[in-house]
Amino acid sequence: MSAAVSMRDALYEAPGPKTRRRVAIGTAISLVALAALVAFVIRQFYINDQLNPRYWSFFARWTTWRFLLRGFLGTIRVALVAGILAMGLGLLLMLGRISSSKVLSGICHVITDLFRSLPSLLLIYFFFLVIPKYGLKMPSFWMITIPVALAASGVLAEVFRAGVNAVPKGQTEAAMSLGMTHGKITRKIVLPQALRIVIPSLVSQLVVVVKDTTVAYVVSYPDLMQNARVLISNYDALVSMYFVVALIYIAINYATNRFSIYLAHRSGAKIISRTEENPV
Amino acid sequence: MTAEYAGPIIEMRHVDKHFGQLHVLKDINLTVDKGEVVVLIGPSGSGKSTLCRTINRLETIDSGEILFQGVKLPEEGKELAALRAEIGMVFQSFNLFAHRTILDNVTMGPIEVLRKPKKEAEEEAMELLRRVGVAEQAAKVPAQLSGGQQQRVAIARSLAMHPKAMLFDEPTSALDPEMINEVLDVMVELAKQGMTMVVVTHEMNFARRVANRVVFMADGQIVEQNTPDEFFDHPQSDRARDFLNSIKGH
Ligand SMILES: Nc1ncnc2c1ncn2[C@@H]1O[C@H](COP(=O)(O)OP(=O)(O)O)[C@@H](O)[C@H]1O
Ligand SMILES: [Mg+2]
Repeated sequence: MSAAVSMRDALYEAPGPKTRRRVAIGTAISLVALAALVAFVIRQFYINDQLNPRYWSFFARWTTWRFLLRGFLGTIRVALVAGILAMGLGLLLMLGRISSSKVLSGICHVITDLFRSLPSLLLIYFFFLVIPKYGLKMPSFWMITIPVALAASGVLAEVFRAGVNAVPKGQTEAAMSLGMTHGKITRKIVLPQALRIVIPSLVSQLVVVVKDTTVAYVVSYPDLMQNARVLISNYDALVSMYFVVALIYIAINYATNRFSIYLAHRSGAKIISRTEENPV
Repeated sequence: MTAEYAGPIIEMRHVDKHFGQLHVLKDINLTVDKGEVVVLIGPSGSGKSTLCRTINRLETIDSGEILFQGVKLPEEGKELAALRAEIGMVFQSFNLFAHRTILDNVTMGPIEVLRKPKKEAEEEAMELLRRVGVAEQAAKVPAQLSGGQQQRVAIARSLAMHPKAMLFDEPTSALDPEMINEVLDVMVELAKQGMTMVVVTHEMNFARRVANRVVFMADGQIVEQNTPDEFFDHPQSDRARDFLNSIKGH
């Protein structure tokens, strides 16, 4: 047995000959369908003259990529800072929510639900249009980062709460019977285990943060999307540019996901999977 | 001062408890003296675990009172935590801290609660792990140990706090048969060294060997209590006779 059983191995039994044949047929059909789709896209591109070098040649220029790279770094910066803020705020909201003080718990519940239910675009408009009216000027970086972080913090608070609830009650009881106080139990026993449990959902939520940053153009912050829009109007190359930018976003989020799987294995496998090694 | 305290370690007086409509503890009166080993026995659902858990207030009670070393159990906060630190508890499902090593499990209490220096706590923890026979596992995490090993670590974790009394809630009923004795042996050893113990168990041999008293519970009540030999050989009540017949098949 490998260090961690893959989810597929855990869910399904090993396939027999019939199943293997069915899997083979399914694979073949999928591949044909995929090929057809790619052919169709290329054909549509061709028909609409989107394969014309005029729409693609500027990708050969260094300046194009430098500009996109700047946008890419802008996106990463917003996503990273917003992600960290959201995690901190989400954690605080969750801790408030599960505290024994009814008032604090109620307030945190309301804030969590508010951030969770408001569309992030609405929060962005609030920071972009409303707040400056009351004399609070902030750089466009914060006008995109704060609302994105707030929107994510509501969801993250719920993710953290689910993790805390998933820690078996016996863990808390064992700590209580050692004489540990509530705060210590939370810090030393519950949170470390809860965080490991929620790493996968946490990262899916960070993917949402990355996607939320794409509305940065609203506040004219030079993120990947905004810079792509500038290039589009410069070169009048809508489809090709969006195509390339989409690939970059897919790559960012694919990397984020791989990172989560790596993290989950590293921190969780030790706890969850029992090694083959015979206990002496 | 507790050092000179000579009365009973645990005293339950007219304790009642409900879970919603369910009356789980009915007028419980129980005294456990220093160095005594009391075995709690009775059908499933009779309230044994609940009784055990009221003693360190993992369960609250509706009325009556519980005294530990002559002092009423504190209701909350630091005082309650301090009281719990003096009572060891061993659970049916071990409840070792899943994210920490075996050594960390045993040093957690001494470091976090008793504020012992790490080095000293670790030395003592290794000594305890040796005593229960799992010292070689110190660097592993709980999931890598067998049930019997985990339960012995759980006992070591409790002992590290130098408890005045220990509660055991069916410590061997989650174990494979071949691992039961390795845990019972540790408990017998503890009893011999004079530890005050309340043990929920159906292990008759263990009860006969070390218990000073067997307390039989049914439907939330203490139905009878006696020395183990008297209880097992001459049960007084029909309920105890029926119960003993039902577990003899094991
Ligand atoms: N947390 C709880 N909430 C509601 N009912 C409970 C709870 N814990 C135990 N009970 C009920 O109380 C009764 C006594 O349970 P327990 O003390 O666990 O019995 P025993 O340990 O003797 O099997 C049972 O009927 C059980 O279903
Ligand atoms: Mg029980």
